[in-house]
Amino acid sequence: MISIETQFKDVKSLDLANLPEEQTALSINNLSLFYGEKQALQDVTMRIPKNQVTAFIGPSGCGKSTLLRCINRMNDLVDNCRIEGEILLNGLDIYQKSVDVAALRRNIGMVFQRPNPFPKSIYENVVYGLRLQGKNDKRVLDEAVEKALKGAALWNEVKDRLNDSAFGLSGGQQQRLVIARAIAIEPKVMLLDEPTSALDPISTLTVEELISSLKEQYTVVIVTHNMQQAARVSDQTAFMYMGDLIEYSDTNTLFTTPSKKQTEDYITGRYG
Amino acid sequence: MKNWFKSGSPWIWMTAGAVSISLISVLGLLLMIAWKGLIYFWPSSIYEFEIHQPGIGNSTLIGEIYDKESIPSKRLTDQGIILTEHTGEFVTRYLIKTGNREFVDLDFRWVLETNILSRTEPAELALFERSKNGNFYGYVESVNEDGNPVKGDKNAALARLIDRSSELADDALSLQNSEIGSINYELERQRLAQRALVLQGNLTDDKIAQFKQSKLTLQQEYQVFEDELFGIRKQARRDHVVVRDMRGEMVKLPLNQVLDVTFPNDMNIFNKMAHFVKQLYKFISDDPREANTEGGVFPAIFGTVFMVMLMAVIVTPFGVVAAIYLHEYAKKGPVTKMLRIAVINLAGVPSIVYGVFGLGFFVYILGGSIDSLFYPEALPGPTFGTPGVLWSAITLAILTLPVVIVSTEEGLSRIPSTVRQGSLALGATKAETLWRIVIPMASPAIMTGLILAVARAAGEVAPLMLVGVVKSAPMLPLDGNFPFFHLERKFMHLGFHIYDVGFQSPNVEAARPLVFATAFLLVTVIIGLNITAIGIRNHLREKFRSLEH
Repeated sequence: MISIETQFKDVKSLDLANLPEEQTALSINNLSLFYGEKQALQDVTMRIPKNQVTAFIGPSGCGKSTLLRCINRMNDLVDNCRIEGEILLNGLDIYQKSVDVAALRRNIGMVFQRPNPFPKSIYENVVYGLRLQGKNDKRVLDEAVEKALKGAALWNEVKDRLNDSAFGLSGGQQQRLVIARAIAIEPKVMLLDEPTSALDPISTLTVEELISSLKEQYTVVIVTHNMQQAARVSDQTAFMYMGDLIEYSDTNTLFTTPSKKQTEDYITGRYG
Repeated sequence: MKNWFKSGSPWIWMTAGAVSISLISVLGLLLMIAWKGLIYFWPSSIYEFEIHQPGIGNSTLIGEIYDKESIPSKRLTDQGIILTEHTGEFVTRYLIKTGNREFVDLDFRWVLETNILSRTEPAELALFERSKNGNFYGYVESVNEDGNPVKGDKNAALARLIDRSSELADDALSLQNSEIGSINYELERQRLAQRALVLQGNLTDDKIAQFKQSKLTLQQEYQVFEDELFGIRKQARRDHVVVRDMRGEMVKLPLNQVLDVTFPNDMNIFNKMAHFVKQLYKFISDDPREANTEGGVFPAIFGTVFMVMLMAVIVTPFGVVAAIYLHEYAKKGPVTKMLRIAVINLAGVPSIVYGVFGLGFFVYILGGSIDSLFYPEALPGPTFGTPGVLWSAITLAILTLPVVIVSTEEGLSRIPSTVRQGSLALGATKAETLWRIVIPMASPAIMTGLILAVARAAGEVAPLMLVGVVKSAPMLPLDGNFPFFHLERKFMHLGFHIYDVGFQSPNVEAARPLVFATAFLLVTVIIGLNITAIGIRNHLREKFRSLEH
């Protein structure tokens, strides 16, 4: 195994606690979430910087996926789910009543654990979001498909069979197709919920390379089980445990000199 | 033994046995119906019997052997029947179909084997299929064309003349149905239009003159067609054939009543097969004759398929929409649970109850209101306020609604939530996700519901007797007169046809094979409908094969 330290990139670290407004993509303030009586998130406050990759790590059930799903309001689908606190996107609380959830999700794309292509052709999968917005001009769509598939590093593999069913692709290709589908509508933020957990190592590598390139255009938030992956792809890392945000700093610091005992125990593999 | 028991073999034998028994009973049922129904179309031999009837004397009998049974001799002697030269315990008797209905008391007659002196199969014996009075058996003596006996090959001449007369009959029928039918339809429409104007108080002298004028024109047209029709009929009556029947009398059969003549005793196997196919085709494509005991069942096939398709068109949107609400929008709670249980229980309500409901609500209340609102000019004659194909389809739609709802719901619940979330995450609203992803993916399940619904509806007879099925419907619910679909009309149905022919027929023996043939046809129609639906479903399944990793 390659040691973690050798993979650290030379990034100038940000002051995450006092991140200036123009560098902030999302700010989460005192967010608590309840499933019925059970509290799943406790008073989480963090700022997610623009055009960077932020990773959420932590043991199963620590609330990292829940927190991710709060950002594009996927938790709205869950019955008995109650949220306190706020998440600001461009200074506006996404949990305000007046917010159009569909419009919000157009700005915050999401990729799930398992590839979930629609039962349509590759082409139709990519243009799905655009068709929803009423864009049906063939030329516009063709351009968007090429751009999105190139962006997701899938163009060369599928350009000759765009009208084939998406189910004919391999798992890794499907996951990149899903990413292409998300970036086709040009969101500001991309949420990745353990995007490589169902993939083989080679596909994982391709997707990870893709994630690193995505941050040029998007703010990326990734949930991962895999600490090496967090170390490889992210700029910031947040460690969560039992619904609490334990530690949040740049990846370099968190993995080399964690300030909390729990974090150290986790990254050294004492539990989780 | 104990080990054998432990090994599980008896269990396998038992389960496999259950499967075999089910399979054998289904196959047995189908084969029995098919056999009994299909032999009706096979040309059977015609025999000439010499019969000695004690106390009456000798006589000749011509006919087909229709049935055979053996009965104890004692029973016959107890009844005072003298068995000549018979000593066995059982005696065989034959049921003979003698045809020639207008000249004999009974066209089916039981004859004891002991009374039969001789039995021959003369090749010249002819079977005449007639449009009235059933079959006629006898020897062709002479053929008369346009008043003069034909010289030369009389059988060839007979075949030629029968072809001519059936062509004329077809012409007459099509004239009657399309041209004359249209005029009658138009006349009725005009009468109703005039009556509507009277009811509205808008009938001016001008309009009366107009109506009179168009009525006159129509009647003139009618006169022309009627003359033509009479001309054709006269042409068809021109020829006749003289036949010697079993009494030895010469009988003159006008050829316009003869549909077909065959010489079954003279046929080889290939002729018989060709004849079989021809008879089968006639059964499927012809209208019934003689109170449904003869001829074909085309209107019943058409009525069944038309009604079932109409029902499918009605039940699918309602069932799917209801299932979507129940599964996607309704809050999960006791009320939804109750609703779902109620829907499932609806499937258990006896079908006749739906029939009574359909008659009370759809026919009388709904149909009555439609009549008083939209068809006041036809009153007191009902238009929609009487049983008809529309009400039958709607009643069966309610009957099969639970099936569609339940299977659609099952289909909806099988769609992976990740796919729904994928769509929502791209900025689709719930409704957009439903339309673009969920419903297409659930379509195989919807088709399954439809298959079950069609299978149930096509076999249902009891409710239909109250809301639209009749013994004989002169007009199909679809014809060439605007608006082409006549949903208020009554219709014929194969299921009811079986009941009617089997139990309400004046001539039970003649109708019996038709019962089997119609039953076999009903099964075939249902299987055909189902196979079509299953084909569509498999196509959809292939298209929306869900994510299986």
